[in-house]
Amino acid sequence: MIIDRRTALAGVAAMFGAGAFAPIARAAATAAQTKGAVIPGISEGPPSVAVFTPAQRALLTALSERVIPTTDTPGAIAAGVPQYIEKLLADWSYTKEREPVIAGLDAIDKRSMADFKVAGAKATAKQQDALLTLAMNGQIPGGKDWFEAFRQLVITGYYTSEIGITQEREYLPVPGEYNGAFPYSQVNKVYSS
Amino acid sequence: MQTASTNRFDAIVIGSGISGGYAAKELTEKGLKVLMLDRGVMVEHSEGYDYEGKPAFEVPARNRMPEPLRDSDYFIAKHGYVAPSSRKFYNDDRLNPYAYDEGSKFYWIRPGAVGGKSLIWGRWSFRWAEEDFTANKREGIDGVWPIGYDDLAPWYSTVEKYIGVSGSRENLPYLPDSEFMPPMPMNVAEKWLKQRLESKFPGRKLINTRLSNITVDKPEQNRTKCQHRNQCGNGCSFGAYFSTQAVTLPAARATGRLTLQSDAVVTNLEYDSKAKRVTGVRYIDAKTGQAQVVNANLVFLCASAMGSVQVLMNSRAPGSEKSWFDNSGTLGRYVMDHIFRVGVSGEIPGMTDLIEYGRRPGGVYIPRFRNIGGEEGVGFKRGYGYQGSASRSPMPPVGFGAEMKHGMRKYAPWRFDMGAFGECLPYKDNRVSLHASKVDRFGVPLMKFDVTFRENELKMMADAKAQGEAMLKAAGLTNVTSGESEHVPGDAIHEMGGARMGADPRNSVLNGFSQAHDAPNLYITDGAQMASVSCVNPSLTFMALTARAADHAVKQMRA
Repeated sequence: MIIDRRTALAGVAAMFGAGAFAPIARAAATAAQTKGAVIPGISEGPPSVAVFTPAQRALLTALSERVIPTTDTPGAIAAGVPQYIEKLLADWSYTKEREPVIAGLDAIDKRSMADFKVAGAKATAKQQDALLTLAMNGQIPGGKDWFEAFRQLVITGYYTSEIGITQEREYLPVPGEYNGAFPYSQVNKVYSS
Repeated sequence: MQTASTNRFDAIVIGSGISGGYAAKELTEKGLKVLMLDRGVMVEHSEGYDYEGKPAFEVPARNRMPEPLRDSDYFIAKHGYVAPSSRKFYNDDRLNPYAYDEGSKFYWIRPGAVGGKSLIWGRWSFRWAEEDFTANKREGIDGVWPIGYDDLAPWYSTVEKYIGVSGSRENLPYLPDSEFMPPMPMNVAEKWLKQRLESKFPGRKLINTRLSNITVDKPEQNRTKCQHRNQCGNGCSFGAYFSTQAVTLPAARATGRLTLQSDAVVTNLEYDSKAKRVTGVRYIDAKTGQAQVVNANLVFLCASAMGSVQVLMNSRAPGSEKSWFDNSGTLGRYVMDHIFRVGVSGEIPGMTDLIEYGRRPGGVYIPRFRNIGGEEGVGFKRGYGYQGSASRSPMPPVGFGAEMKHGMRKYAPWRFDMGAFGECLPYKDNRVSLHASKVDRFGVPLMKFDVTFRENELKMMADAKAQGEAMLKAAGLTNVTSGESEHVPGDAIHEMGGARMGADPRNSVLNGFSQAHDAPNLYITDGAQMASVSCVNPSLTFMALTARAADHAVKQMRA
């Protein structure tokens, strides 16, 4: 295959030689305008700012695992869900998205102190489940909305993680064929999309 | 640039998408030396598909477009089209903006890479019917086509055999069959629905999709049949769907007569008004800001419907507001898109012992059934078709904890979802123009859109909603619901018109061979040429028109 890449990359002046015509003033002005015309990247690596205090982070981590616990497959902590949530709120969302998440964590923590005399992160799994249930049922101020949003963050983080995609679910990189009447009894795990 | 003897190229093709890529293949194969210009970045087949086959955890931001980035740079393409894995293929709307006045919102969703929309298209491929070419004339609507189905049928056949279209032979009067590869199969729930829907509504059909994903290998093109990944929008190294990269670009390169220049933003055409010929193509290198004028005896303008119209409108004498190519006064007018955003869905009972294996691109199609052959008194002209599919999703979360996690390991019952695509009529005052004061970073006046859907289109969508519900309910689906959201022209990314074909140079820009009335060495073979839009997906028709135009152009050159 003839790929004319070298020519394409060599630049237009070399390419078209004397046949080319360049209105210099216009080109200079345009060059100035195209400078800085950069498509932004998407931040990767650790969060660029700490969204949570250590106590909030500990509670977030514990509650993530209560939403998707380790069972016969790894849970939210092993799947890196707490780190995903902090990265999402630090670098992939508007800063205003952080506030309700943090407020909900603080409300849970407060309720934990009141009910169990212990910080939420230090509560037992059973106590943490009770706190999440209160939130889910709207018995903590702002709880219902917070619960829905928090659960969705955990679910998104988990089912887009390597563990979620390849262990909890089954990923078929190249199915190769399509069967529109495949026996459900032969499905071992839900297929990742 | 009047010195033809310095020409390095016989032809210049502007744009490298569905139409431009096809034009470059045809012209190079006919022996012409071709320069193909594209304003987008270079993407090579396979090696340029950065996130092909990668699951979400290997894509930035888990392949969810960060909201601030979406709002700042991809605000036009935010309706589900653009993701981190595919964004290289899309225009950056902040760097390359356009304009509209309050009250005439338009989504101009553009690609940003060589290959244009061929990399990211929906791939549904249908022939137009004779009905589509004759309706304007029959109904007395401005925009009589100078060609009919018979003019295009042999070119459809040529294109279909070349690109590969999968589908089922149906012998329908409204939707002519293509040269098909075997269809993407229906799943068991779609077959069930087909049988019940067709028996309850005689004359209405539910058929296999017609898709440019191939179901038989094409070794002569180094293409492997669809592997059912359904990740087409990230690029496909199997070459299983038609794209410039997979099909027409390798063919054009194989001739040794193609030069491809990416990052080349065409601003205008230069014109000799005495000779009535295009004499040059001016473009700016987006990387350096340097302007160039190149010339050739033949120019194919395939910069996308609205992109081509913008180039034409910006081609004018110094100080003049009137394009060289607008002696008819119709340039920029009769802009159309398919109207959509009506969805209907429901649950299909039973068959829960069966499920899909593999991820099939496409789905099923309910072809147009309204007003075929004449108005039926349903309150609007023309019609719509539905694109849909049946599938089973994982169960939604309930509560939290182990019970929720394990509950999500089961699949819900079968659901069927479909959306309607309707024909928009051509209206003279649905138009685009160059902005009076704002220019882009290349000095080109912004495109300004003044396009709205009218009563006919909105009535059609109301009917599509009602009929969709009625059909799914009668077929025995449960919990049938429908939804309708804002209808914004451009949203279907089937924008067409603006430089329409016609027999009369006084009311059209192009003749029946896609050739400019005002410049016989200029052909415009993308969506700009369309005088009406049918209700079926348009790309296959652009390719057939392009192949036909290339044949005409080369014959004229050599006559």
